[in-house]
Amino acid sequence: MNPAAPSDFVLWLTLAVMWLPFISFLVIFFITRTRLALSLAVSVSCASISLLAAWYLLLGLPATHPPVEFKLLWMAGAEARISYGFLLDPLSRLMLCIVASISFLVQVYSLGYMAGDEGMAKYYSFLSLFAWSMISLVVAPGLLQLYVFWELVGLSSYLLIGFWHHKFSASEAGKKAFVMTRLGDLGFFLGIIVLLLHLGDLSILKLNAQAAAQLSAGLVTASAVLIFMGVVGKSAQFPLLTWLPDAMEGPTPVSALLHSATMVAAGVYLVSRLFPFYAASPDALAVVLAIGTITMLLSSTMAMVARDIKQVWAFSTVSQLGFMLMGLGAGSYFAGVFHLTTHASFKALLFLCSGVFIHHFGSNDMYEIAKNGGRRLKVPMITITIAGAALAGVFPAAGFFSKESIMGALAELPNPGWLAAGLAGAAMTAYYTFRLLFIVWFPRKIETPQHQENGHGDHAAHSSFGYWAMGVPLIILAGFALVLGFFGDWLLNFIHWGRPPEFFHHVWLAPVSLLLVGCGIGLAWLEFGRRKAAQAGFLSRLPRVEALFANRWYMDAFYRRMVDYVVYGFFSRLFTLNDRRVVDGGVDGVCRATVGGGWLLSFLQSGLLQYNLFTMVLIIALVGLYFLVMH
Amino acid sequence: MNSLTVYLFVALLIFCIGMFGLLQRRSLIGMIISIELMLNAAAINFMAFNRFLAPDPSVGQIMVLFIMGIAAAEAAIALSLILALFRKLRSINIEHARDLKG
Repeated sequence: MNPAAPSDFVLWLTLAVMWLPFISFLVIFFITRTRLALSLAVSVSCASISLLAAWYLLLGLPATHPPVEFKLLWMAGAEARISYGFLLDPLSRLMLCIVASISFLVQVYSLGYMAGDEGMAKYYSFLSLFAWSMISLVVAPGLLQLYVFWELVGLSSYLLIGFWHHKFSASEAGKKAFVMTRLGDLGFFLGIIVLLLHLGDLSILKLNAQAAAQLSAGLVTASAVLIFMGVVGKSAQFPLLTWLPDAMEGPTPVSALLHSATMVAAGVYLVSRLFPFYAASPDALAVVLAIGTITMLLSSTMAMVARDIKQVWAFSTVSQLGFMLMGLGAGSYFAGVFHLTTHASFKALLFLCSGVFIHHFGSNDMYEIAKNGGRRLKVPMITITIAGAALAGVFPAAGFFSKESIMGALAELPNPGWLAAGLAGAAMTAYYTFRLLFIVWFPRKIETPQHQENGHGDHAAHSSFGYWAMGVPLIILAGFALVLGFFGDWLLNFIHWGRPPEFFHHVWLAPVSLLLVGCGIGLAWLEFGRRKAAQAGFLSRLPRVEALFANRWYMDAFYRRMVDYVVYGFFSRLFTLNDRRVVDGGVDGVCRATVGGGWLLSFLQSGLLQYNLFTMVLIIALVGLYFLVMH
Repeated sequence: MNSLTVYLFVALLIFCIGMFGLLQRRSLIGMIISIELMLNAAAINFMAFNRFLAPDPSVGQIMVLFIMGIAAAEAAIALSLILALFRKLRSINIEHARDLKG
C-alpha cells in the first residue's frame, strides 16, 4: 500500500504528540527547574495533550486508512538519502497510544510517589525526555531516525535508573543498563550499515516491501540477525538479560514505564516494525524464536526464587518479552503485537501496585510487605491481583487472550517442542505470580503494633491528593488489564488493515493451557496459600537448583569474570601502562628536562656581568670578523 | 698609511685597552677608568672623521662635547653608587657583590 501524505490536521496532531514532551523537557530543564509546581504543570499538561492526540490518531482515523508518511530530507549522499519525519500505520498508531497512555499515567502516579523528593522537577524533565524519545522512535519512518531515538531511549533510561545516584547500587545499575544495551546496539548499527550499503535507503516501508526482492537471502538473514542483536540488548533477551533486573534500582514508576511501554518494548517493537523483512528470512525468524524461548524459560526460573517484589516482576518482564518474540518468531505478527499491548497494561499495573507497597512500607521484600500488613491496602491489593491474573493468563483477564494467540502460533510450527516450551513457561509464570500474590495475601505472622504505627505515620505524611494520584492510575490500568483481551479480534483487523490473514484458534489449546496455569496456581496454593503451608517453594528442597536460579544461572558471575579477564586483565592493564609510561612518563620527562636544562643554564648566571659582557664582545667580534672575511 | 688611519688605529687601541680593562678588572674604580678610556676612544674617532671627512666640522665637535658631558655625569653617578656599595659591603670588589639579596 502506498503511503499518503498527511493532511494538515494529522500533520500538526502528530507533531504535537512527538514534540510536546520534548518541549516540556526543555522548559523544565532549562527554565522552570527551581519552581516545582510550574514544572509539574508543564510536564503533565504536555503529557495529557500528547495523550489525547495519540488516542485521536488511533481511533479517529479509519482503521483502513493507508499509511501516512511525512518526510523531510535530513542527509543526502550520492547514493543514500536519509530523512526525518514520521510514519503512521496501524502498528505505530497503536504503539503511540500505548506509550502516550502509560507515560501519562506514570506521570500522574509519580505526583504521589515522588512527592517530597528534592529532584522531582528534574525527574519530570527526564520522564518527558523518555516519552519524547520513545514516541519519536515509534513513529520513525526510517531506520536511522529509529536508531538515534533508540539510543536516546537508552540514555533517558540510564538517567532515570540512576536517578537516585547517591545510592551506589543505583548508579551501578544505570551504568550496567547503558553498557549492556550498547553491546547489542553495536550489532544493530552494523546491520543498518549493511542495509544502507546494499539498499541505499533506510525507509522502513521500502525495507519491508522490497528488501527481500533486492537483497540476497544471506544478506537479508545477516542484516536481520545483526539488527536483532540490538533487540536482544534492548529487550533484555538471553545473553544480555541481566541488566533489567538491576534496573529496578530506579524509582518504581520508572520501572513501570521502562518495563511496559518504553525501553524494553522498543526491542519487540522493532521486530514487529520490520516484521515483513524478518519474515523474508526463515533463518532470522528461527533465531528470534530460539532466543525468545531460551530467555522465556531462563527468566521464569529466576522469577520462581526471587524474594524482591520488583525483581519478580522484572524477571517476568524478561520472560514475557521472550513470549512476544516467540510469537513473532513463530510467524505471527498479530500474536506478538497483541501480547505487547496487553503486557503494557498489566505490567505497568504490577509495578505501580508494587510501588504503592514499597512507598508505604519502605521495603522491597515480599515477606516483609506481607508481615507488615500489605493486604490492608485494598486498592493496590485488588488491582495487583487482577494484574497478576492477567500475567498468569487466567481466563477473563487480558494476558489469557494474548498468550493464547501466541500458543496458537506456536502450535502451527512443525516442531511441537516450541509449544511445549511455551506451555511450560505459562505454567511457571502462573506459579511465580501466584506465589507472590499468596505470600502477600496470606501473611504468616500478624503484624506487630509498632509496624502499624509506622505505617500510619508514613501514611499521614502523604496527602489524600497523593493517595488518589497513585490510586487512580491503578484503577484505570486494572480496567485495561481486564478488558483489553476482548479486543483481540478488533486488533487483528486493525493491524492488518482490515484484511487479516487466517488465524487459527485451536479449540483444544485453551483448556490445556488453562489446565497448566491451574496446575501452577495450585502448586503455589499448596506451598504458599493454604493455612498450613510452609511458605517455602519446592525449590528450597533442591538448594543447588535454587542457588542456580537465584544467582541468575551465574550469568552475572560469568560477565563479572569476563569483565575481570578482558577489561581489567587486558585493556585496563594496557591503558594503565600507557598512562604510566607514556602520559605520566611524558609529563615527568618534560619536568626533568626543564630542571636539568635550568641546572645547565644556571652556570651562565655567575652573578658577574663581566662574563656576559665578554660573551657579547666575543660574539660581536666574530660577527665583525665574518663580515670582514665575506666582503 | 694616511693620517686618518693612524688616528683610527690609535682609537682602536685605546678602545681595546678599555675593553680589556673592563673585562679583566674586578675593582669598580678600575672598571670606571676603563669605561672612560672607551668613551674617549669613541671621541677620538669622531674627531678624526670630523677633521678629515666631514664637510661641516662643527657636527663632530658637538658629539664630542656630548660625550664629555655624559662621561662626567656617568662618573658622578658611578662614584656615588660605588660609595653606597662600599658602605654596604666594605669593599669595592665586584666579586663580593654577586648575590642579589644583599
